Amino acid sequence: MGKDKAERKRIKAEKLEAKLQKKHQKLENAGKFKLWRNHRPFWGATLTVLAGLLILYIPIQLYAIAFVPGSFAFVGFLFGGLVLILGVLAYLYPQFSTVLGVIIMFLSILSIMGALGGFLFGTIFGIVGGALCIAWKEQEIPHLPDQTKESKENNQLIYHSEVASTKSTT
Amino acid sequence: MSVGFTVKKKFVAALICGLIVLGAMVGVFGMTGTALALPLGGMGDFYVQFDKLEGKGFEMLPQIGETGNSDASPMVRNKIEEATVYNLLIYKDLKLPDGKWIRVNIKGTQPTEIHGLIQDARYIEANLQFSNLGIHEKNTDDYTKNWSQSAEKVTITNAKIVTDYLFQTMVKLQGAKISIESIDKPETIN
Repeated sequence: MGKDKAERKRIKAEKLEAKLQKKHQKLENAGKFKLWRNHRPFWGATLTVLAGLLILYIPIQLYAIAFVPGSFAFVGFLFGGLVLILGVLAYLYPQFSTVLGVIIMFLSILSIMGALGGFLFGTIFGIVGGALCIAWKEQEIPHLPDQTKESKENNQLIYHSEVASTKSTT
Repeated sequence: MSVGFTVKKKFVAALICGLIVLGAMVGVFGMTGTALALPLGGMGDFYVQFDKLEGKGFEMLPQIGETGNSDASPMVRNKIEEATVYNLLIYKDLKLPDGKWIRVNIKGTQPTEIHGLIQDARYIEANLQFSNLGIHEKNTDDYTKNWSQSAEKVTITNAKIVTDYLFQTMVKLQGAKISIESIDKPETIN
């Protein structure tokens, strides 16, 4: 039972490794934007920025009363602004994506008070964006030598040494 | 070279947690329209209008309190332990920085249930009906205890009340509609 579990784990790890190797090979020929995107939780941050803008929409419409004492619209400004800033920070500091993701989800849910969660769409986008940020990870992939090229070189070496040995015998 | 990727298990777990918390919050606040310990004050006079209020445990006391224009103004403090209000409308006139006036309306389209209501009113225009009404006087210098009125049950109809302080331990405002409208000038009752 334990062996099966370990075996399944090993197969899973190998599949992931293969998947990452494939991605790594694609990135070798990728453009600047794709390379930049690869090193950060791009879709998580993008959804978060979109969520921030949606959440800010309602308080912006009520800007006239936003700064009246006791007004809930100010709270909407605060939550929407914070979600927007955290989205931008996720682009700039991908190493903190997990912490940022947790705070993004928390603020998106709270934004229902004071900003109606951007008609709930802002809240949903914030939750999904936050979850993507939490789940994002960067892994170092060791560069594997190109097998076809090396075997060709080895074959040439064998041929030359064989030619050298036949010449010497004749 | 490093490769960025999303761990599916983590994503699904985080998403489910977030949706559960959202559902819980919507369930508590959104479905019932319930707010706890809700004070409305510090913004000056606001107006409370309703078609009918049925209350239990009514008490009225004299009070001197702050209004939007004065530090100390005579008013009455109404306390009702439990009340059901029909067609409740609370509105407040606000002056914007550009000089224009707006009215913020909070309207309950369904009966509003209130527990622990405390209201300081400067003006009351209403039809009142009491059961077991008692008026009490006390020999004390404290003006808030010198005189009081209490009733087991109270029914108030067609009311318009100028309120300077409103506190509700629990209020269930189902079908609430909040709207803002432009007005030429504020309503004044002196």
